[in-house]
Amino acid sequence: MTTSEMDNGTTRDELLQRVALMEAMIAEGRKSTARYGWIFVMWGLIYFVAMGWAVFLPFKEWAWPVCVTVGVVVGMVRTRRRADGSSESQRSRTIEAVWQAMCVAIILYVIAAGVSGHGNQAAYYAAVFFFVGLAHGISARILGWGVQGLVAFLFWGCGTAMFFVQTRNQILAVFLAAAFFGMICFGLYAMMLERQRAAAQVQRQVQHYA
Amino acid sequence: MPELPELDPVVHGKLRLAVLSLLVGVEEADFTWLRQKTGSTDGNLGAQMLKLEEAGYVAMEKRFAGRKPQTLYRMTAAGREALAAYVAALKQLLGAAL
Repeated sequence: MTTSEMDNGTTRDELLQRVALMEAMIAEGRKSTARYGWIFVMWGLIYFVAMGWAVFLPFKEWAWPVCVTVGVVVGMVRTRRRADGSSESQRSRTIEAVWQAMCVAIILYVIAAGVSGHGNQAAYYAAVFFFVGLAHGISARILGWGVQGLVAFLFWGCGTAMFFVQTRNQILAVFLAAAFFGMICFGLYAMMLERQRAAAQVQRQVQHYA
Repeated sequence: MPELPELDPVVHGKLRLAVLSLLVGVEEADFTWLRQKTGSTDGNLGAQMLKLEEAGYVAMEKRFAGRKPQTLYRMTAAGREALAAYVAALKQLLGAAL
């Protein structure tokens, strides 16, 4: 019975086709699993680049508008490409909504503060940190993820510290510490977890279907 | 010689098997996404989804995303069991055929 018919009228080739179909569909489903760690890493790097440009390079007034615009465009393009239709859950939609609202709030705040010239630099960064901390805090609560909760407190702590620092260098140090630990390190950690989770999922499916 | 297992006809259908394999890896999926991934038509997919629903292998929920209606499907525990049993039967059949 090699390519022959089974007792129930099904051929071996037909069964192998079913196996191949299952493998292909499982792989398709896996592609749709959302990954967000890279977004934190990207924004952390953007903060560093923008800050470096603003301090060391000419046309410093363009540093933040250009870097933030690049970040928003890259984020939108990559997120749209990944979100191909929707195997997303209510929970992930809620978290996305929180982060989108935070982005809108920060963009409006940055534009309004920049155009009006109100507020000093420390208060300006503090507000941004409180916004980011808020989004992390809500996400942590929804996901029940303690590490993200700690990141929320890191941002809130840095936001609070901004009101007590004295010099421009201290402001810069707090800002870069928040960007490095809260964005880049946290993003890399999230990416590592996402990779481990994907590998574990493949392993489970391989064991299940082996 | 041991008796060869029967394949669950509800799971065995190509499109139904494709849908169950897609759903096994995700929390839930909407109709449009399933249609796009399987390359089927609205009518065919709708009919197959109904069969899976009647068998208790998937659960359907209708909701609105803004003003846009959405039909969401998720795999039930019975669906997972049926797929696992189908794979076990496949293994046995393919083993017997080798």
